[in-house]
Amino acid sequence: MTGPLRDLRVVELCDELGQYAGKLLADMGADVVKAEPPAGSSARTVGPFVRDIPGPNRSLDFWYHNTNKRSAVFDFENDDAGRERLRKLILAADVAIEDRSPGTLAALGLGYGALSSERPGLIYCSITPFGQDGPWARFRSSDMVGLALGGPMNMNGYDAEDAPGAPPIRGHGDQGYKTACHFAVMGILAALLHRDHTGEGQHIDCSMHEALNSTTEVGLPYWLYKRENVIRQTTRHAAAHRTEPWRYPAGDGRDVLVFGVGRDNASWKSIKAWFQAEGFGKQFDEPRFDDPRNRQPARGSPEAGEILAEVGRFFAAHTAEEIYRGGQERGQAWGVIRSPDETLSDQHWHDRGFFVPVKREGLEGAALMPGAPYVLSATPWELRRPAPKLGEHTAEVLSEAGIE
Amino acid sequence: MALPLEGIRVCDLTWVIAGPTATRVLADFGAEVIRVEHEQAVDPIRLGRPIVGDHPTLNNSGFFNYFNRNKKSVLLNARHPDGMDLLKRLIAKSDVLIENFSAGVLESWGLGYDELRAIRPDIIYCSISGFGHSGRDREFTTWGPTAQALSGLTLTSGLPGKPPAGWGYSYMDHTAGYNGAIAIMMALHHRNLTGEGQHVDISQVEAGIVLNGPAVLDGAVNGRTWRREGMPPGNRAWEPAVAPHNTYACAGEDRWLAIAVMNDAEWQALVRAMEEPDWALDPRFATNAGRLANQDELDARIEEWTSELDDYEAMELLQAAGVRAGVCQKPGDRFERDPQSRARGWWRMLMHPELGECEYDGVTPRLSKTPGELRSTSPLIGEHTREVLGEVLGLGEDEIDAAQASGALM
Repeated sequence: MTGPLRDLRVVELCDELGQYAGKLLADMGADVVKAEPPAGSSARTVGPFVRDIPGPNRSLDFWYHNTNKRSAVFDFENDDAGRERLRKLILAADVAIEDRSPGTLAALGLGYGALSSERPGLIYCSITPFGQDGPWARFRSSDMVGLALGGPMNMNGYDAEDAPGAPPIRGHGDQGYKTACHFAVMGILAALLHRDHTGEGQHIDCSMHEALNSTTEVGLPYWLYKRENVIRQTTRHAAAHRTEPWRYPAGDGRDVLVFGVGRDNASWKSIKAWFQAEGFGKQFDEPRFDDPRNRQPARGSPEAGEILAEVGRFFAAHTAEEIYRGGQERGQAWGVIRSPDETLSDQHWHDRGFFVPVKREGLEGAALMPGAPYVLSATPWELRRPAPKLGEHTAEVLSEAGIE
Repeated sequence: MALPLEGIRVCDLTWVIAGPTATRVLADFGAEVIRVEHEQAVDPIRLGRPIVGDHPTLNNSGFFNYFNRNKKSVLLNARHPDGMDLLKRLIAKSDVLIENFSAGVLESWGLGYDELRAIRPDIIYCSISGFGHSGRDREFTTWGPTAQALSGLTLTSGLPGKPPAGWGYSYMDHTAGYNGAIAIMMALHHRNLTGEGQHVDISQVEAGIVLNGPAVLDGAVNGRTWRREGMPPGNRAWEPAVAPHNTYACAGEDRWLAIAVMNDAEWQALVRAMEEPDWALDPRFATNAGRLANQDELDARIEEWTSELDDYEAMELLQAAGVRAGVCQKPGDRFERDPQSRARGWWRMLMHPELGECEYDGVTPRLSKTPGELRSTSPLIGEHTREVLGEVLGLGEDEIDAAQASGALM
């Protein structure tokens, strides 16, 4: 079986900003050639590295974001012949993705305008921090700067009692770049479906700023309809007014997320039975706990206070994972706050074959990394090859395309 | 202009946020998205704040309007045999069926993938659930914050020595929705090649774990966890380790500027923009290694400089000098002050019968020949019941009246 994009040839001219878009296409079957300058993509210098030893083929960040791609080197910035070879390669492709600042590739004769006249079916996607035009088009950015201006960062932070004067907080993992790439791929696929019917290609102007602007949930509606800015709160949603905490410490020092205890009668019954089976909450049998309104913390009833206190004692006597599983087994959408690496020990993901082994330089055996973001029954995600070494496929790519 | 997904019909059984986000994207690009709703189990977002007016009416939620523009709404009672029959007829006329119920719910309606395929052989069936439709914990459920906690996104957002800040909104509802739109469009391309449909099974937690691949690999390869002293690093850089890289308080209440210096040349540009204060010429700050080793002092010095300045003016000054800097914009700033979004015509206005004049964010990315567009507000509940039953299913007026009288359309 092969992926749904197995008929697509893609040339990717991307570093940290756009490389995830190329991965999303490559992982679903597209033949993605990463065109790199002789020194290699700057993404190869981003750590962490295998055993912390830097090197162009040792970046774990690069390994992850460049699966299933091939690498071909072109001296397209300095050398006319290299530029011409790259131009020919793009003219033989279905899709080009680039993340240079606006106008950079056009100045080299590699912009959409010059290429599309020779290949009208080309889909050419430009991913930039702010879009191709406008007063900020030439602003310099980064993942954090993008998250700041785009809006997500101002949603994340702390209650004053947890961290007085704390700034808005950036979630890690280059999430601004990831969101930009999700939008880039949505645009490329929409353009591809149009091309399937008409043969017509087009240019796609993908702005990280706009992608992030559309990705802050309640933030914009509160401004657009109420002219209110939501306020940041520790480990929970930003809101117009302070809301109840969700995060509780467990006995092992880790945290769980709990959204109300026994809001409805069915879940109250099962949680009560769970607590009492372990010797907690004996008083919960008293009729005053039967009314769900008495159990809501926001109402400040003595019963709600007693429940919270008992929950605190129960949680202190259990590990976070026990509370998470116990709640879920009783129909509660509770969570446990895990570090990314801790997901590796959850057997559910192994049941689904989610983590995939990757072998590469400097590694004894194979290491596991996250695999499919979506499971397609007829055309599944597949790891066909690990991230390429710099220039590993230059000769074969040129020879396949008949380029000298 | 043509829309890229024109002619694609989506039978949309989604609710809350993750599913409607997927269909928002498809609708923005021109798909005919038909939300199938039921008065006895209404989408809670129809009651979601902010609302306009004193009480929720099902049609006055700005929150619902944000996620459901460009869509149609049909009332169908799937618990009524005639309602189920009409739902199956709608599925037969649809290219895509999407839902984000807990795993097993649609099967319990007798609409598992095999049954759907019997109704429409090339159907693309997309399910979005917390844990996916296979695996030992498939019946567990999530909200956006649960998925963020389980995937590692919550823990990796915060200041060292503090509880996690996490994400102040359901980032994973948005992102699971984007994954849904992506997977559906990939499946449509495969169908164009072969005529074959398929089942797309999305787990919201998996969709979160893939967003921190390098941190997982750092654990698998180097045995390192983010649960350690000094982590998460707040707004300082994890990788590549560079300094200065942080948010700095500016003049005014809760005003912050993000500054990212990635190399020595950018550091020198920052020093020039600050007019070369003596402290900045200290040789300890000349190299990235020195700046990393003295980061507390470095950040305090830079904040002394920014704290006197207006955040937008400081940003302009630094950007003119070639330094990566950006204001931490609040929602109101994004709408009222952001010149980039204004210049690009990002904000759009439509008139909604209960909400009045509504502003919307635009459609991105921008396709040069077949751009997505804002065509209609979110639908009133059941607004398109008669239209869809008539035009899509070919029912006559009296048949629709009969279905209405039987209780199938509620």
